[in-house]
Amino acid sequence: MATEADSTGTKLRQLAELREQARHAGSERAVARQREQGKLLARERVEKLLDPGSFFELDRYVRHRESSFGMLERRPYGDAVVTGYGTIFGRKVFVFSQDFTVFGGSLSEVFAEKICKVMDLAAKFGCPLIGINDSGGARIQEGVVSLAGYAEIFWRNVQCSGVIPQISLIMGPCAGGAVYSPAMTDFVLMVEGSSYMFITGPDVVKTVTGEEVTFEELGGAATHAAKSGVAHFISPGEEACLEDARYLFSFLPQNNVDPPPYAEPADPKGREDAELDSVIPDDPAKPYDIKSVISRVVDDGDFLEVHERWAENIVCVFARLNGYPVGVVGNQPRALAGVLDIDSATKAARFVRTCDAFNIPLVTFVDVPGFLPGTAQEWGGIIRHGAKLLYAYCEATVPKLAVITRKAYGGAYDVMSSKHIRADFNFAWPTAEVAVMGPEGAVNIVFRKQLEEAQDPEMRRAELIEEYRSQFANPYTAAERGYVDDVIEPRRTRPVLIDALETALTKRERRPPRKHGNIPL
Amino acid sequence: MTVFSKILVANRGEIAIRIFRTLRELGIGTVAVYSEADRGSLHAAAADEAYLIGPGPPPESYLSQERVLETAARAGAEAVHPGYGFLAENAAFARACEAAGFVWIGPPPEAIDVMGSKTAARKAMTVAGVPIVPGTTAPVESADDVRRLGGELGWPIAIKASAGGGGKGLKVVSEPDEADRAYESARREGEAYFSDSAVYVERYLEDPRHVEVQILADSHGNLLHLGERDCTIQRRHQKLVEETPSPAVGGELRERIGRLGIDAARAVGYRSVGTIEGLLDRDGNYFFLEMNTRIQVEHTVTEVVTGLDLVREQVLIAGGEPLSLRQDDVRLTGHAIECRINAEDPSNGFLPSPGRITSYREPAGPGVRVDSGVAAGSEVVGLYDPLIAKLIVHGVDRDHARRRMLRALDEYEIGGIATLLGFHRALLEHPCFAAGETCHGVVESKELAEQADRLSHQTTNLAESPDGRLRERVARVELDGRLYEVKALVPEPPFAELARRRRERSGPGAHHGAARDAVVTPMQGTVLAVEVAEGDEVRAGQVICIVEAMKMENEITAHRDGVVTELSVEPGQAVTTGQIVCVVSQDET
Repeated sequence: MATEADSTGTKLRQLAELREQARHAGSERAVARQREQGKLLARERVEKLLDPGSFFELDRYVRHRESSFGMLERRPYGDAVVTGYGTIFGRKVFVFSQDFTVFGGSLSEVFAEKICKVMDLAAKFGCPLIGINDSGGARIQEGVVSLAGYAEIFWRNVQCSGVIPQISLIMGPCAGGAVYSPAMTDFVLMVEGSSYMFITGPDVVKTVTGEEVTFEELGGAATHAAKSGVAHFISPGEEACLEDARYLFSFLPQNNVDPPPYAEPADPKGREDAELDSVIPDDPAKPYDIKSVISRVVDDGDFLEVHERWAENIVCVFARLNGYPVGVVGNQPRALAGVLDIDSATKAARFVRTCDAFNIPLVTFVDVPGFLPGTAQEWGGIIRHGAKLLYAYCEATVPKLAVITRKAYGGAYDVMSSKHIRADFNFAWPTAEVAVMGPEGAVNIVFRKQLEEAQDPEMRRAELIEEYRSQFANPYTAAERGYVDDVIEPRRTRPVLIDALETALTKRERRPPRKHGNIPL
Repeated sequence: MTVFSKILVANRGEIAIRIFRTLRELGIGTVAVYSEADRGSLHAAAADEAYLIGPGPPPESYLSQERVLETAARAGAEAVHPGYGFLAENAAFARACEAAGFVWIGPPPEAIDVMGSKTAARKAMTVAGVPIVPGTTAPVESADDVRRLGGELGWPIAIKASAGGGGKGLKVVSEPDEADRAYESARREGEAYFSDSAVYVERYLEDPRHVEVQILADSHGNLLHLGERDCTIQRRHQKLVEETPSPAVGGELRERIGRLGIDAARAVGYRSVGTIEGLLDRDGNYFFLEMNTRIQVEHTVTEVVTGLDLVREQVLIAGGEPLSLRQDDVRLTGHAIECRINAEDPSNGFLPSPGRITSYREPAGPGVRVDSGVAAGSEVVGLYDPLIAKLIVHGVDRDHARRRMLRALDEYEIGGIATLLGFHRALLEHPCFAAGETCHGVVESKELAEQADRLSHQTTNLAESPDGRLRERVARVELDGRLYEVKALVPEPPFAELARRRRERSGPGAHHGAARDAVVTPMQGTVLAVEVAEGDEVRAGQVICIVEAMKMENEITAHRDGVVTELSVEPGQAVTTGQIVCVVSQDET
């Protein structure tokens, strides 16, 4: 005889009840506190990140097994993290979202196991992974088991690196060892005012070094966006952050084998822009904004800038050309005259490698006067750091296009996607100056003797500079040797780049087998 | 002709933008105020300068006299234009403006006082010989009084709150039995909405037309009228459609009510633009209702048929200029209609429908004018008036204007929120409107609401794709052996809206975080030029100085708006990395 307890109806009711319990694992007080801080709940974030209704939750009945410190008294379903999968613009993506309202979002053994499960699935199916971080750190009660959990995640971050896109959203605290998981993902997005990341907090800093610093100053979004370069994007609020993550996602492929997502363009591929013909100031010492050049060339003028406020002398953006995602790198004459220095080389090197890993073609706009001189740079290791960018460009096998808009001087010319390090198509505007150095410097060296002997050295110098300028400060010396493929009217940049890109899209290049290259880190 | 150099507009939305336009034409600087809820609003962006005046709720922002005046002082404005609503008919504020040394762009406060009280206004009009709807001029004291007056004036009668307006505090009593309830209810509403429970009684006219006269009066004693506007199409006493000329007013009647209007304005020593509102019964009798002592929402139709700019006249009058034309110079040409585009849902009892406008396209073409306060991406906030835009058309005659309006309504696209677009289409197609009838009973009918609902969906169908917009894509198509170039409307990719929103966020003024005061040189070099002086006001992005380094000129720009202080560099000076150039301070002094 079937009893009441055995009936399917009862079982369905029990299921509904468990599900409801799992959904409300956090205490009312914790939920209220989260809201007071203007923060969304873990599931709300996932629901806003993904296409409406697409989220499928995994492991909602997982519970911790820790018995010390009276932990068995509280075993909420799902523990302190929400995991699962869903879609963004219809494309599958795996997610985890740490839940600060349960045990302060602290990482337990099962918490780590849940994350590792979605990481393994994402890697197995070749789907991107997005992690939302909002955690107080390790779950002290679980001791070393918690540390092991972190390490399991770190190891998987590295296994997935360059295989599937990994994106980290920081929407609360992320401190101590926990920072290293986001740090090893491809992109870190932070929310201003409510998120922070650091290895050691203000208290420890004060004890050890005596420095007084606030959470916000030490590891807030603005700090990591402008000073440390840890954050690739920052947003004024959580909703904006989730939107930015979706926008970023629109440029990234599912994995390192798939092409990045093409989107039917509306901007005509043949569109010329007459304004570009007057972008370069007649006075070679005057700056201009390379971003306005980029926006005139790419589809609809839209782009997503990475590291907008860090190392502003180089600009790295995602954009589209005739519907195909591209990574655009451009020297920015408006900041530090567009020189390469430690930060800009590091920033661009990372961006170039990210694009290369995910089959995103590279377009480089070159206007570089050289490397930044000075003891700070030399002692800071500009040699090592500059080498990163050179290495990254040499190593990249995606289609590489370059447009020299003005200066391409010296070693920096070689670095910036030059023909010699296997760029596929190099174009120059008639305003380009491809040379070892600027005319003034060159004349001082080459004609030192002549200048010493001249009756009026200043006049002679001026003459020689003019001579040098007309002879070398142009793109034609380089074009004679095929170092640039064509000199084009600036207005035609978009159609020319699109044509070259579509030609190069089928590029296949194999590097020699090796364990891995040895980039100067 | 520049009478002022800078004017603050103490308003928001379409009327603020409307006023800015005129001020621009006059070469006058524009100052906007905005609440926290209006940070992203169009009117704040449309002015030369915009200042935050407080939290979203009107009492803490747009209605805060103190904040508005503080801001006017801070911005260095010389005059304040109140627009309509908010502080526009607040005599205390008008006085406060003048006391604080600002010119009040509006009528004398005394005139506002008289016209602001229904009973005082009726008294003044009686003295001036302007006919009023038969009734009391003094407040009534009891329901018995109401019954007595009903007997004298004839049923039905209307009980109205003395300080009321917009239909609030108005009760119609068709027989003596209803008097008690209606009396109490009108008092309660008066108390609740206007903090004044005084009520008065007048004869209730059946099926009257609501006809108002536009008045212009300068400070030199010149007065003239600009013809009438017919605002009979109302829903719960809120105007929805206005037109001029009125289908019921001819030359002789216009002359008569125009003169009445002038008399009424003169009686209270009026100056500025103003409107005499009145009721026109079926026999051509005209009764004074009230005077609106401000620019009105529907001033546009008068502008269209007269060719005048009423805001311009208003500003010049406030500046002491005499009127530039005489009554004989006024020419009324053609017919104009205005439809109020409210963010309201006709299929849901005309409830406001706040939300984000996902797609937006305005009509254009011959004879079409749009006064709007929104654009695609605008957030319609539930805190304020649901009027988001006004669509005005001009035609040679009434039917021409009506058809033109229907065409323009068809072109108008507003996605993401419910609006009255469909309602107006349904109404203007209705035979009663086409015939120029009063349409009483039709406007609020279920039939019209249903038709409006149906037509609403037709307009918003295009915008149903999740993230909004369509864009054009040119394709070549061969049809029957002939090659065509066709523009296909394809939905834009889902991330386009995200791109737009991100761009808006990172636009000028979006810099947040811990802003430091000092501007520092990012590099070592030589100062070529200094573009600002100590004490200059600068805006974010403005060049402070130019530093030459590595043979390149580097513009050092202000990182935020403020005043330059502690300027410590001069041309020719060598600077090191991180050296302080100046401080951009934002002291609220």
